[in-house]
Amino acid sequence: MITSRRRFLKTTALSGASLLIGIDGTRLLHGAQTAAGQFKPNIWIRIDPDESVILTIGRSEMGQGVRTSLAMLLAEELEADWRRIKLVQASPGPDFEDIGTGGSDSIRSSWGSLRQAGAAAREMLATAAAARWQVDRATCTAANSFIIHTPSGRRFGYGTLAGDAAKLPLPKNPPLKNASDYKIIGQRIPRIDGRDIVSGKARYGIDIRIPGMAYASLERPPWIGAKPKRMQEEKARAVRGVRAVVKISKGIAVVADTTWAAIKGRTVLAVEWNDPPPDAFNSGAHAKRLESASRERGVVTRQEKAPPGTGAVAQTIDATYVYPFYAHAPVETMNCVADVQENRCTIWAPTQAPNGLQKQVAQLLGIAPANVQVNVTLIGGGFGRRLAVDYALEAAEISRAAKAPVQLLWSRPDDMKHGHFQAASVHYLSAGFDAKGAPVAWKHTKAGSFHNISPLQPNEVHDVAWYQDWSWGVYDVPYAIPAIETAYVAVDLPVLHGPWRSVFAPSSVFAREGFVDEIAQRCGADPLAFRLDLLKGADTVKAGPVTIDRRRLRRVLEVVRDKSGWGKPVSKGRGRGVACNAYFGHTYIAYVADIAVDHDGNVRVARVIAAVDCGRVINPIGVEQQMEGGIIWGISSALKGEITFRNGAAQQGTYADFEVARMRDTPAIEVHIVNSDAPEPFGMGEPPVPPIVPAIVNAVFAATGKRVRKLPIRPALLLS
Amino acid sequence: MNGSRHVLDVDGDMPLVWVIRDALSLTGTKFGCGVGVCGACTVLENGKAIRSCQVPAHDAAGRSFLTIEGLSPDVSHPCQRAWLAEDVAQCGFCQPGMIMTACGLLHDHPEPTDEVIDTVMSDSVCRCGTYPRMRKAIRRAAEEMRMKKT
Repeated sequence: MITSRRRFLKTTALSGASLLIGIDGTRLLHGAQTAAGQFKPNIWIRIDPDESVILTIGRSEMGQGVRTSLAMLLAEELEADWRRIKLVQASPGPDFEDIGTGGSDSIRSSWGSLRQAGAAAREMLATAAAARWQVDRATCTAANSFIIHTPSGRRFGYGTLAGDAAKLPLPKNPPLKNASDYKIIGQRIPRIDGRDIVSGKARYGIDIRIPGMAYASLERPPWIGAKPKRMQEEKARAVRGVRAVVKISKGIAVVADTTWAAIKGRTVLAVEWNDPPPDAFNSGAHAKRLESASRERGVVTRQEKAPPGTGAVAQTIDATYVYPFYAHAPVETMNCVADVQENRCTIWAPTQAPNGLQKQVAQLLGIAPANVQVNVTLIGGGFGRRLAVDYALEAAEISRAAKAPVQLLWSRPDDMKHGHFQAASVHYLSAGFDAKGAPVAWKHTKAGSFHNISPLQPNEVHDVAWYQDWSWGVYDVPYAIPAIETAYVAVDLPVLHGPWRSVFAPSSVFAREGFVDEIAQRCGADPLAFRLDLLKGADTVKAGPVTIDRRRLRRVLEVVRDKSGWGKPVSKGRGRGVACNAYFGHTYIAYVADIAVDHDGNVRVARVIAAVDCGRVINPIGVEQQMEGGIIWGISSALKGEITFRNGAAQQGTYADFEVARMRDTPAIEVHIVNSDAPEPFGMGEPPVPPIVPAIVNAVFAATGKRVRKLPIRPALLLS
Repeated sequence: MNGSRHVLDVDGDMPLVWVIRDALSLTGTKFGCGVGVCGACTVLENGKAIRSCQVPAHDAAGRSFLTIEGLSPDVSHPCQRAWLAEDVAQCGFCQPGMIMTACGLLHDHPEPTDEVIDTVMSDSVCRCGTYPRMRKAIRRAAEEMRMKKT
């Protein structure tokens, strides 16, 4: 958190006539720590004599529009001409020790500091102008990258003043604008990168081309620990364009003059691997382990005893919810360009974790991190997958062995089979009812697995907070039920898994919101009215580190109720379902999904009515895009592909066997942005995902009477 | 390619997508799957959308193709304009392929029904989920092209 402005804003003396301000933008990720008292900037603002305003950001652009929205925060308080703002992508180093992107954190963590920095720069520029004119600062205003002396109409461009302003001290409390005076925040500002994208100029990792670059394709062990038995190295080397076959710690790489020659060489290489052991990982067996673990007591993550006077439990219901593995499957497969030379290395990577990447590559090569230059490219879909840096380590190893700059490109099956998957989990839930049939007890145990990728290893203290961090959506159940007990059971998972859009929440919220519907059904209650009833009582509820504002959750539910025609009959074969979630007590979302089931048991989502309260809206376009994208992401996981493992290997390899939603699967979507009381903005990348799957599941129940407790929803279940 | 003639010495079996990306350094055309199921590598031939990962170089010889870079010099093609007007892109990676697919769609169906749009565009993958805006953009582009003709 921001503790003192002095800590997070800093000017730096720069030769020439530029004004430079750095921002320490608080923490990066859940669990990550910033050393106290140390200035670790992740944003720099620079105003040059040529009138350009250069914003160097440490956040990676992967479709969330962060380059646009961060620039909007700066431009607002700086009173900068929007068209003059240039964005530069930061590289890790002394000026950028804490950069990276995850946890829907970019806007939330920069909201205070970036506006403060903009305001500070504006004040310094105005003070510099007033000094030149020898007038009172109060007679000067800032607009469109000019300081204007109001009485005389004289003006200076920011660039003209930058050198003078740089000599001034940072103002202690630069005044911030009232929200009612905002000109940019809250406006529909198109993507800064929009024209580059539609003209094919936007450069992703895969598009990097440097002189002398070779192309590589890497054959990896199909299961962890597999050893090559034989391969046709000579044949591979004989392929036209193949330069070398190199062995690295992660597999065998073919290095060639073109991508195609590398792919062909790898095919011809025909590596045969030894057979997996009989106990190699199998997702079916793992699901059984998870299910039995879900019946254990586990580590209690929240416990609230029923207050005196609560009716005793007279009856209980219980249910088991089963959640599978998923791949990220971004359209841009993993890739990296590495140029390893003696004692130094340059990397071009589409990465969400540039600092971690730099450190790990340095460690691998046995050189100082300062000698690893990391250039962050645009990312063709991140979704958490690019917090892992495996592809960069591979590229560096190949470049070192091949003694050339190398672009490593993963094939689609490489990407699908060697993911850091969303982990499977099993949830056991039970509810107790008193003699009158009112719900008085709630229990939810999640059996899941800790991430096993770096750099996301949380601290070593395995206290309750630590376990809560692995069970978002479980311990923070927002409902007012007299007795609540939630627990976590850790189950070892020997395949790579890590953060995936909304991380631990989707499985938990699928189970929780499905089971709330089961309770409503048991009570003979309307599921939406029932949720509103359960959200009465105290307006706020604290669970672990999270404070949930039930008023905000109620409001989004009321909006989808009113906008969806909730309660009106739907046609035959159709069903309407609701679900909601408070993401970390930050972003509140409710959905009403209308689905149709055909005679073969295929589910189609016809319409989704959405309401979101994400606090202060920076760019409504971005909020709508993330809602639409999150809904479609959820449709993929509800109705499309899952990853299964046999013999230690993922069985799916393309979009044909790990299907994702396509245009024909896309419902009519209506997004209602709810005006919020919260003055600050909250994240939008992850929060739209968790409640859409249970809204669909609950709609399936309304249509068919079949309660889905296992994902993805398969037609056979609905026909049985 | 994009109106220029190129003489290249590449393997006959090299898919066109690699000819475009590696031999011609036109990186607007993306690689996504290599097996024709994602649409990221879509280019145009005589107005029709084709998957460049499915055309080997020896078949491509002598033919004429258009990539996203050749669509317009100034982002003025109706599809590009519509894409910007509807704020379609998120990460943007699949979008050149999507735009070329939409161009092919509008070539074959100048006044496409919603069903035709869904059917044709469903051969392509956008993992960010920009489909609702793409639908709108295609309708908008169709309208602009129709207005231009009349």
